[in-house]
Amino acid sequence: MAKKSTTKTVDKNLLVGIDLGTSRSAIAADNGKKKWVESYVGWPRDFIARKVVGKEMLFGEEAVKHRLSLDMYRPLKNGVIKEGTARDEEAVKELIRHLITLVQDDKETDKIRAVVGVPAESFKVNKVALKKAVAEFAESLFVVSEPFAVAYGVGALDNALVIDIGAGTVDFCIMHGTVPAEEDQRTVLTAGDYIDQQLFTFLEERYPEADFNLNMIRRFKEQHSFVGEAKKEVEVEIPVEGKSTVHNITDEIKRACESILPAIVESTLELIAKFDPEYQDAIRENIILAGGGSQIRGLADYLETTIGEYGPTKVRMVDDPLFSGADGALELAREMPEDYWTEL
Amino acid sequence: MHNGDSTKIKAAILREVYEDNLRIADPRLQPTAGRCRQGIKKISRPIPLLFLFFICLVFYFFAGTGQHHDQEAADSVAIQPVFPWAEIIYKQQQFPPSASVSFDANRLLNYDLLLNQNNIRLSAIFGLGVQTIVIDPGHGGKDPGAIGSNGTREKDIVLDIALHLRDRLQKTGKYNVLLTRDNDTFISLADRVKFANTHHADLFISLHINALPQKEFNVTETYYFGPPSDMHTMRLAEQENRGSEIMTGDFKDMIKKIGNVLKEQESATLAATIQHNLFSNMKKYDRVIADNGIKIAPFVVLLGVNAPSVLVEISCISKREEETNLNNPEYRQKIMASLQEGITGYLSQRQTQVVKGETNGKKIHDKNS
Repeated sequence: MAKKSTTKTVDKNLLVGIDLGTSRSAIAADNGKKKWVESYVGWPRDFIARKVVGKEMLFGEEAVKHRLSLDMYRPLKNGVIKEGTARDEEAVKELIRHLITLVQDDKETDKIRAVVGVPAESFKVNKVALKKAVAEFAESLFVVSEPFAVAYGVGALDNALVIDIGAGTVDFCIMHGTVPAEEDQRTVLTAGDYIDQQLFTFLEERYPEADFNLNMIRRFKEQHSFVGEAKKEVEVEIPVEGKSTVHNITDEIKRACESILPAIVESTLELIAKFDPEYQDAIRENIILAGGGSQIRGLADYLETTIGEYGPTKVRMVDDPLFSGADGALELAREMPEDYWTEL
Repeated sequence: MHNGDSTKIKAAILREVYEDNLRIADPRLQPTAGRCRQGIKKISRPIPLLFLFFICLVFYFFAGTGQHHDQEAADSVAIQPVFPWAEIIYKQQQFPPSASVSFDANRLLNYDLLLNQNNIRLSAIFGLGVQTIVIDPGHGGKDPGAIGSNGTREKDIVLDIALHLRDRLQKTGKYNVLLTRDNDTFISLADRVKFANTHHADLFISLHINALPQKEFNVTETYYFGPPSDMHTMRLAEQENRGSEIMTGDFKDMIKKIGNVLKEQESATLAATIQHNLFSNMKKYDRVIADNGIKIAPFVVLLGVNAPSVLVEISCISKREEETNLNNPEYRQKIMASLQEGITGYLSQRQTQVVKGETNGKKIHDKNS
């Protein structure tokens, strides 16, 4: 969509859009490359661990795999950089560096121009820290709130509500032709991670003899999450005393996923109700679900029905939840006038 | 949407993003004239003076009103002075060294550092103590509360628990523990609130037992008041637009908000510790009891009481086994013990934590000094 071509890539500027997420971070570059990693950064615990993993630092899945030898950081847990934890700040920095190297063609000549989408909550609290973290790797950069980047990317600029269901937070953002002010945004802390915890507890209760961990729980959720009526029974293999055994977790998955619904519905209704009455209908008919949580089966239908009691409602999902934030950020980068880049 | 419209909107949005980011890059920078968001104004004034004024007012509020034990409050403030906090704000804002430099009033009066930065714990910053604990056994008199299938009444169980819990807490010698009722009488919700407020409660704990239509379920949950949305609105309110025209009235408003945040922070933490202790205990007796966790609900009793307040739904009398258990004094002892653990656990962490969830306040202090 870079028709405007206000920014030409003649001087080997590499435009990137980064979505810095609690659980996953993604990058999209205008050279066509797109990558994502799990938002984990791990440093070897000691010299033995360093020898075992053979690296100074590990990212994403690789870090998760070697987690027993690493000091693991999930720098944007709960949507913000933890106050005063230098390691978390460093982890953010390394994560960004890593993302950029994933898409860079030529480290020497590429000048990075980045638009970074960050969780709405950290945008408010940590924007300076985040900006500092990225500044090292980019010639010029903009920080925006993540749901806003998503909205921009899908062209929902006016009379739209973006609900971005991430791991640490659910971010709501009403778009009405401007950069959303803070009162157009909401953050709810019961999101993907909360589903994991709930599911963990429920399974622990129902199958006390089964042996599972949070990673497995997260996998179960990602494969089987649903709300409303179960289309089919959900059965997964969990070891019991070392022996892989099939467990039915249909009810638990449903209960866990549905545990985040009340807060989402409440915030949606409230945010819409506070908005200019003339446009409330228009917004209700333009609700966009983004983020990993938008993949929960039946969610869009559920919201349409529940919120539909207040008037006609239309809920759609972004095509590519994993990259919608990064794509939106890249779109912003592409359309950002040249002089904005240079003046910054 | 027309293409032309969309281009125009986009141009305006990009411009705003640019200006936002300019401000992030250098907080002293003003947004371009004419383009500035409503209400962002600048002042040039002797900053330290205004700053001190603000601190004094906040300090005055906490030491002077809302606390009946002025002496204690004043003492603990003296030990843990207001200045670490002042320092935090000072350092975080990185004021220009010269007071004559003009800058964003917004930045100076960023009391959202207190409100918005929800990891700073107000009670510790101000060194607030706890002296009076009000325990509120639910129902009573003509109002029996929930009734089990064998006729056990909620009002009797919670009264017994409350009486013993009072004795247990009293024994520590550290707290003045009051009950809203110590016999089987009816007290309206409004009177309970009034009782807590006139006795200057520092903590308010309402005890209840649940009954569910699904008789096979047993649930433990703890509530505190404060819809997150309200909290949010409150945090956001006016943080953008504080300009040069700060009036005393605004300060009062702001201080009230700080008080609300304090209450909410403490209520949430108290709810969390109680729920954790209670649930891990209950689980020993009922393996399938559900942890409904901490809930936020607008109960009248929680709303009206000035102090941090929680409402505990201990378990469900509708489950037959639970009803039998509740009639067993030993079982009730266990409940009291876990409630007490929850309360004291909360109180012991209270003074030391400036940063919620982190180890202690020293960290922030060290970092900033």
